[in-house]
Amino acid sequence: MVNFWIRKVEDLSKEELLEIIDRELKGLVTDKYVPTNNFVVYFAEREKIPAIIEKLMEFSYTRLSVIAGNDERYYMNKLSLTYIIAFDKQDLYIGIRTYLPFYDPVAPSITDMVKAAWWNERENRDLFGIEFSGLKDKRKLVLPEYWPDNVHPWRKDYPYNKPVMDWREGLPDYTPVRETKDVDVIGFGPYHMVNDEPIHWRLYVKGEVIVDAEHRGFHNWRGIEKIAEGRLTYNQIPFIAERICGICGFTHATAYVQAIESLARIDIPDRARYIRSLMLEIERIESHLLWIGIACHILGFDTGFMLSWKTREHIMHLAEVLTGNRKTYGMDIVGGVRRDVLGDRINKAIDTVKKIRAEYKELYNMLINNTILVKRTRGVGVLPREKAISYGVVGPVARGAGLDIDVRKDHPYAAYKELSFNVPVYSEGDVLAITLVRLDEVFESLDLIEQILDKLPKGPIMAEVKEIPANKEAVGVVEAPRGEDIHYVRSGEYNKIQRWRVRAPSYANIPPVREMLIGYRLADAPIIYASVDPCLACTERYLVIDIETGKKTIISDEELKAKSRKLSKTMG
Amino acid sequence: MNMRKYFEKTDKWVVTFRYPLEPLEPPKELRGKPEIDPDLCIGCGACAQACPPNAITVHTDYDEGLKKVRIFYGRCIYCGRCWEVCPEGAIKLTNFFEMATPNKEDLVYEVVLPLHRCPRCGNYLEFTERQVHRAYTLLTRLPEERRKELLERMFLCRDCRRQVFSLEEFKNRRRDKYVQASQTPF
Repeated sequence: MVNFWIRKVEDLSKEELLEIIDRELKGLVTDKYVPTNNFVVYFAEREKIPAIIEKLMEFSYTRLSVIAGNDERYYMNKLSLTYIIAFDKQDLYIGIRTYLPFYDPVAPSITDMVKAAWWNERENRDLFGIEFSGLKDKRKLVLPEYWPDNVHPWRKDYPYNKPVMDWREGLPDYTPVRETKDVDVIGFGPYHMVNDEPIHWRLYVKGEVIVDAEHRGFHNWRGIEKIAEGRLTYNQIPFIAERICGICGFTHATAYVQAIESLARIDIPDRARYIRSLMLEIERIESHLLWIGIACHILGFDTGFMLSWKTREHIMHLAEVLTGNRKTYGMDIVGGVRRDVLGDRINKAIDTVKKIRAEYKELYNMLINNTILVKRTRGVGVLPREKAISYGVVGPVARGAGLDIDVRKDHPYAAYKELSFNVPVYSEGDVLAITLVRLDEVFESLDLIEQILDKLPKGPIMAEVKEIPANKEAVGVVEAPRGEDIHYVRSGEYNKIQRWRVRAPSYANIPPVREMLIGYRLADAPIIYASVDPCLACTERYLVIDIETGKKTIISDEELKAKSRKLSKTMG
Repeated sequence: MNMRKYFEKTDKWVVTFRYPLEPLEPPKELRGKPEIDPDLCIGCGACAQACPPNAITVHTDYDEGLKKVRIFYGRCIYCGRCWEVCPEGAIKLTNFFEMATPNKEDLVYEVVLPLHRCPRCGNYLEFTERQVHRAYTLLTRLPEERRKELLERMFLCRDCRRQVFSLEEFKNRRRDKYVQASQTPF
């Protein structure tokens, strides 16, 4: 077991911390390499990985962000794993890299120590064929069940355009992961709007109470990273990065271009930095208002839903005027932004912010004084602090559980170093806390937009970029509306990308939903779910299997929502 | 504030539009359908190079002597990169967005340009006539001597150029270059 966060280091500077880490890891690591300002890579043997992770996770404000696998057979005939650990109070990312021989790609599993590694290890097992000794969960995460076990699509010898086999052949039967003798199983999904992809939960219920839950997602997994590694040049990728997510697309594009800019050492103009911040804040408001509306809708408070989305429409229109599109802004490019904020549009933006602030204040007062909303969310779906640390949750979920982490403050990017804002933190860890974090953040974002428009420096919006140096690596981080969005990029030859690993915030936030669901009622499941992500299932139907009689009943989406609303009525 | 008060204050109840029944005017900044002006396009293919989803493609037909710049709006993501990179200003972004159609072929637009023909051997080159003309207009900026030198062979294809300007001349020129290079101080 790891003793999380027992060594308080948040007051130390980056250099002091690096000295301590160097001292602690002496003998465990073999080499050190500093690719960029905020990214340090240590090389280690694979047997030493659990010991290193255990040591590093003892420092306060650390998270296991992502485990990026890579196929480096072209360079050294080996596969590699990079465990990227964030040090949130020092603006530092530490990568632990281990090389695995191609004929024996086995690494020790650390899922028992750090829950954040759970999905990462399963993903690397699927896509690179790296086995993790000691990993109990041998189910597939990313690839479908019918996919052959010895084909690993992210190895470099697998072409990006190879067609997938016919999915209708050899679909295995579903086997539950736990004993279902005395529980009912409720399928939940897979058509689901969480994480912009269908997602499936199996809820094991005793009567009305959820006793366990099982996740199966990635039905809509598209392999965007492989397309980018295979055929796109570095300046075409921002546009496909923007299409990773339908709600926070601009954060993905920004994270990618930031990674490229830091590995190629490009300084972007001040005006471009400010415009990026402006668009990120507009996107945050848009995403939070969308989430508030959906949450109200789930709780049967449709007036809140309508009013929230009415307010949201103003910001969508502003985005359309500033960038040329309501959602896919298409503003980011390596070296700057593509459209300037000029003339009348600044006045338009200021007017819009005023209008939204007035409308949102009324909406805010209405929401927090609504007894149904507060009663339905208080004390529901509690994620304890220790579990939040172990799962490495990010964004409003982390801030609702009392962890004071925000990438805008901790790893300043774009123009956030020159702007002042507060990070709302609540310690309860329930759905109400997460809701309040999101509600408060809208005010902060409105303030930020006003500050940015006030301070907007003059000058060019794009720096000249010629060629991207080969075999450099970097991480790009952005605070998406849902949390930290991290992109690990390694550049390749001919202006292409050798490896691009995207870890969206929901990748860290969905695994703990299992812990949050246990012990609460079935009618609470929608709102617990929704607390993590801005969208909840607009599922066509839910399948209920009565295990004892073997009878299958189908509850429609409307019925489950009606159940949820009925509970609201009894409370109101 | 409770809900009753909120609704007493609100005067405007309907905020939506009856869109398909009444026209909707998009803002003029909207990145909509990109249109290629066939009069200005020279067929250089810069747009096809920049297009992230390969919506614009260039096909060269040496038999008929035509270059076809084809845009398929079904693949277009309306990013506007083609508009940015076009050296001739031939691509225009409109704010037209109602592109739905039952027929896929409505979404294809093609600019067909004649390829340049070598005046000596009669073979087609990979450049269009307009590209060569554009290069010709650029020559006016050069000094007189250099321009004359280039004019002699700019219309010829690669093979004809080799035949017209003999190997000897090449050798002389290379020797000159070599002598010049060796004289430069290090």
